[in-house]
Amino acid sequence: MTLDLANKELGKKYTRLVGSAAANMCAHCGWCIDACHVYLASRNPADTPVAKAERIRRVYKKDHDWLSKVFPFWTGAKKLTEAELEEWVTLAYRDCTLCERCVVNCPMGVETPQLIAAARSALVAAGKAPEILTQLADMAISREENAELYRDFFLEQVKEIEKQLQEFLGTPDAVIPIEKAGAQILYVPLSGAHTILPEAIIFNAAHASWTMSMFEASNYGVFLGDSAKTKRISERIINEAKRLKVKEIVLTECGHAYTTLRWEAPKWFSDPLPFRIRSILEVLDEYVRDNRLQLDPLKNSEPVTYHDSCNLGRKGGLLEEPRRVIKAVAQDFREMTPNRLQSFCCGGGAGLVAVAEWSEARIKAGKPKADQIRQTGAKIVVTSCDNCRHQITELSEHYNLGIKVTSLTELAVQALVIK
Amino acid sequence: MNNGFVHFAEFELQIIALGWLVVLYVIKVVQLSRLPMPREKGLPKGSPIQGALRSYTNIFIPWSMESSKKHLWRWLEFGAYHIGALIAILNTFTTPFAPGIMTEPVRWVFAILIAPALLLGIVKLVRRVASPELRLISTPDDYFSLASVELFFFAGIMALLVDTSLWRTIYFLITAGFLFYVPFSKISHYVYFFFAAAITGRRYGWRGVRPQARKAE
Repeated sequence: MTLDLANKELGKKYTRLVGSAAANMCAHCGWCIDACHVYLASRNPADTPVAKAERIRRVYKKDHDWLSKVFPFWTGAKKLTEAELEEWVTLAYRDCTLCERCVVNCPMGVETPQLIAAARSALVAAGKAPEILTQLADMAISREENAELYRDFFLEQVKEIEKQLQEFLGTPDAVIPIEKAGAQILYVPLSGAHTILPEAIIFNAAHASWTMSMFEASNYGVFLGDSAKTKRISERIINEAKRLKVKEIVLTECGHAYTTLRWEAPKWFSDPLPFRIRSILEVLDEYVRDNRLQLDPLKNSEPVTYHDSCNLGRKGGLLEEPRRVIKAVAQDFREMTPNRLQSFCCGGGAGLVAVAEWSEARIKAGKPKADQIRQTGAKIVVTSCDNCRHQITELSEHYNLGIKVTSLTELAVQALVIK
Repeated sequence: MNNGFVHFAEFELQIIALGWLVVLYVIKVVQLSRLPMPREKGLPKGSPIQGALRSYTNIFIPWSMESSKKHLWRWLEFGAYHIGALIAILNTFTTPFAPGIMTEPVRWVFAILIAPALLLGIVKLVRRVASPELRLISTPDDYFSLASVELFFFAGIMALLVDTSLWRTIYFLITAGFLFYVPFSKISHYVYFFFAAAITGRRYGWRGVRPQARKAE
């Protein structure tokens, strides 16, 4: 029964993209081998991108490749078995963070993460996805279904943050507007003050027209590979933006939330969305460019480096915006090598950071990133993704990096000159 | 060697084999094109056309990928191997259909360009057996495809340098066998490349990921 469900889901995921990645497009040349942080950390041949993709490709081949249907042994094609499906859990959720570094280093452009994502969906259908990811996705849905239950607590929390905001800016006029119809911006934070207070400071300092709602940006449906839940969680924010008639949604520093809402969500609707979707990184870049913030880079005198979140950078296209902001707010910016498109994943992406039982593997896979950070000699690592932030903080503890991890907005707030 | 059989191997058999290849590829391309493909709909940040162009030309720009920048020898090897393959394929057309241009110097040039590919093919085979990473992902099709290309190169060089009807017949029989097998094997990657590079390149272009300034890559 579980196998039937998994196979059915694999069939549903057989798009043109998956179809070409699953077909004979991969020449098994091995160019992607050392592009993967998991392989670089383990040196286990089974951890190379092509080896991971091959496990899923061979199942697809059994159903779709002419030669494999007749002579499966010749191409290694095989039917999905219960044992294989069980092994896919670690393969798809632990050993690949869908970072796409293998894609940009493949001469053919084989989309290995698409195959892994298809495997994740099959595991969801078979009821084998990590429980914690399912629970976190369900919690987000429940928050929408029981919005009234959460409202008072949320408003109370915001009031507390608002007090800190007023104290920081030294004015009682500074506010955190909630569900203000007609505002220019609907800002979507994560749950937790660390993604509300710094942004509230920036919006107030720039005299922006903004508001917040009670739904957070994170979307564990994406990590699960559950399309229905992903859409449902995203729609909470989209519907809120429509209800409040805002001009744009601005997402907090969160990699997967940005990629999902900015690039994936518009595909789900036949009509274009009536607002634009941006990251706070783009807004900060705009404010810096338009001199809407008075900044003093001398206030951030320690060496700073930037970690490109895979979702924001390689998958999202936000490569230069954060760099321009850092150069405006910090004195000593040092690039990691490699960076931007070739940046290494921190090792905690695609939901891995939430699965406690795999923390050892996650820290091990973060070794290439830890080495990169150490080489810069930076004391502050800026990253614009909460998962990366969590992971790099743990990497610092484990590999004794002696760094402070912060978000770009927090760094900008540090440099803010308040009159 | 019977002249009729040589002629059959060079012409009729080649046309049948090429026809077979084309028909199978058309079927494959139609099958792939009919699969659903969600299009990018978010406000574009870059140019999908430039992204696709970059995907197609990536392989010619060694610094555009870490995998080629870090392993320059591998990139040169890739280039030499594929130039050899291209010439060997070209030879299957020029020898029977444009014999006038196949003068002695041209035959030598062709042979000299195919020879490195033949040697590099042996290197590839040895590496596939010796490297645990490559061995793990290799199937009988990988070994057979590599070996059959080697045979094709070897026969091509012999037909170019020892211009006897025996070698020409051997060469064209091998070529025909090769053409019959190719649509089923991993050698088909060159056809899928045009699909995947367009799809991936358009996405990266649309999202402003690629092309980046040179320093960014």
